[in-house]
Amino acid sequence: MSQSVIRLLTLALLVCISVSCRSGSSASGQNTPEPAKPPGKIRVVFKYQPLGSEPEPLRDLLADFERANPDIEVMTEVLPNASDVVHQYFLTSLEGKSREFDVFIADVVWIPEFARAGWISDISDALPPEVIKRDFLPGAAEAVIVQGKTYGAPWYVDAGLLYYRTDLVPRAPKTYEELIEFAKAARAKDPSLYGYVWQGRQYEGLVCNAYEALWGHGGKTMDNTRVLVDTKEGRAAMSYMRRLFTEGISPPSVTSAGEEDARHVFQQGRAVFMRNWPYCWGEAQKDGSPIKGKVGITTLPTVDGSPGHGALGGWQLALNANTPSWRREAALKLMTYLTSLQSGVKLAIAYGRNPSRKAAYQDADLRKSAPFVADLLPVLENAKPRPVTPYYGMLSDVLQSEFSAVVSGIRTPEASLDRAQKLLDHVTQGGS
Amino acid sequence: MVAPAVVILLVVAFYPIVATMWLSLHRMILVFHEEQFIGLGNYAFLLSDPRFWSALRNTAYFAAVAVAIELVLGLGFALLLNAAFPGRSLLRASILIPWAIPTVVSAKLWAWLFNPEYGLLTRMLPGQDVNWLGMPGYAMHAAILVDVWKTTPFVALLLLAGLQTIPQDIYKAAQVDGAGTLRQFFSITLPLLRNTIVVTLIFRTLDASRVFDAVYVLTEGGPANTTETLSIYAYKTLMRVGDFGYGSTLSVVTFLCVMGISLGYLKVLGVERGKGRA
Repeated sequence: MSQSVIRLLTLALLVCISVSCRSGSSASGQNTPEPAKPPGKIRVVFKYQPLGSEPEPLRDLLADFERANPDIEVMTEVLPNASDVVHQYFLTSLEGKSREFDVFIADVVWIPEFARAGWISDISDALPPEVIKRDFLPGAAEAVIVQGKTYGAPWYVDAGLLYYRTDLVPRAPKTYEELIEFAKAARAKDPSLYGYVWQGRQYEGLVCNAYEALWGHGGKTMDNTRVLVDTKEGRAAMSYMRRLFTEGISPPSVTSAGEEDARHVFQQGRAVFMRNWPYCWGEAQKDGSPIKGKVGITTLPTVDGSPGHGALGGWQLALNANTPSWRREAALKLMTYLTSLQSGVKLAIAYGRNPSRKAAYQDADLRKSAPFVADLLPVLENAKPRPVTPYYGMLSDVLQSEFSAVVSGIRTPEASLDRAQKLLDHVTQGGS
Repeated sequence: MVAPAVVILLVVAFYPIVATMWLSLHRMILVFHEEQFIGLGNYAFLLSDPRFWSALRNTAYFAAVAVAIELVLGLGFALLLNAAFPGRSLLRASILIPWAIPTVVSAKLWAWLFNPEYGLLTRMLPGQDVNWLGMPGYAMHAAILVDVWKTTPFVALLLLAGLQTIPQDIYKAAQVDGAGTLRQFFSITLPLLRNTIVVTLIFRTLDASRVFDAVYVLTEGGPANTTETLSIYAYKTLMRVGDFGYGSTLSVVTFLCVMGISLGYLKVLGVERGKGRA
């Protein structure tokens, strides 16, 4: 009997110790002393998502960096290729004050959120905001500058584009009416064709498509700091998206389609138009692709025919706020190296990723080896970021379901946008 | 030796529950480093949160329909497998395959079958314009279909075990008395299977009420949150939004619902004490 009491007490004690240790380390993490620099090379840990199926070009690039900086060693860790999953990973490990990595990639919409949370370092000393604004594409620059300070280095950029079949339409459509008219004409000749495929599933891709329609109808993303969706332009944009289904321009399958679903249909030659990211170009032009040589790209259409704004995508490099000071300089060197002009050109040629620096688009090598990448400059210059706000995660969660309600015909644009606006105001004004 | 076991149980089972309940009384959003005790504020918000009520409705609908179908089908399979026929053991083994496949894998598989462009199920239907996972109403039933496919074997197995405890003599006696198959089923099989059925119902309803993986892989809660269950709402709030306070509130409410259901079952269907404990 007494033995079991002793056992019980020992166990309880052990549990208390382990619990208090854990809570202690997470609560007072900020005050724990920085780990001292171990002897030898400075080891910088870099977390990234695969850029393409071939790891070699990036590896060569990092090997060059190590040769130029013999005192630095770069360790790489590959992240899963799913933005949501990676976001959750950073959410928990950065809040837990992890020091296990230094430089990491961040999606374009995360920077304000991470900066506000104090998870990423202000790197204005290495890349001042003026330099960012001068050298990088405008959308990418806007995405990394938070309250006048630089919180990330734009690595490569992406933007939504319109793909069209040069053999099925007379020319690239400039307005929504033209797109609908061309799609109808092509479908009249061949009813098995779909008109326009895009991303309508309830996920982030739908938010991008909806913002593109909003901008195309003259809408604004924000009014000062308030995220505005329930506006005249917003309602017009949503009505247009719903109209694509009611008039048979977009097939019902679009309401559950992501990027790859849309691409498969378009690539098989079954659709006249597609909204997607630049990566589809390489796939469309591959040998054996049924649409090789029959595809054109252009900016997204608008109401008035001016070039439309694609949603800005792409990835930035950010610096973990908990990186010890003795590792900071090496980490910054790696970030500036990876986002330099030469690196941008190399990655563009190897992976078709669009460089974030303007000057890369004048580069002779790039123009020769990857002309498609170079030709995208006007689209990228015109790309706009989704709302730049630390509330983005919450906002997107609300918008995804309300936009989905419109495209799948559950609620009218008016009802959905009214709900969305109320929820957004509630979220950003401090309710939970 | 009982005491250490109790301590381990306390730490493993009760600490997370109590911690979650404690968190649910806070306004706590990771990104903003906010942590503020607000008492029952989150619960008050929950009552006026239409998204919570729709998630609750979705969960209840999913659980009720899926479990009802599974029970009927499962009972059919169990009766079939209980009868003697050649190849019975092979069939018994093969019926378990859907249950053995990890849910995420089978959900992904079904997502392909439901794919509006290439999916076998879509191709087989006339008209071909049914977009199972993108149309309100359809998506929920697609998820139910996947759940039924996956868990009917489990139900069948549990009921089969119950069937085998019924002594054959009773049936023989009934036959002598001239009772037909139907009469035997309603007067012998069902009453004697009652406890097994209740246990199966509890198991399945609890499982279905906290369904996450199958639905998340199929639809992520879309379109327009029409397939969003309580677990998916809680997960999104906790992990995607980083709102630990309200996310915990949702988890606690899910927990309470599940507990309420099990107590309700025990009360209404009344498993005899000591006999039918799972």
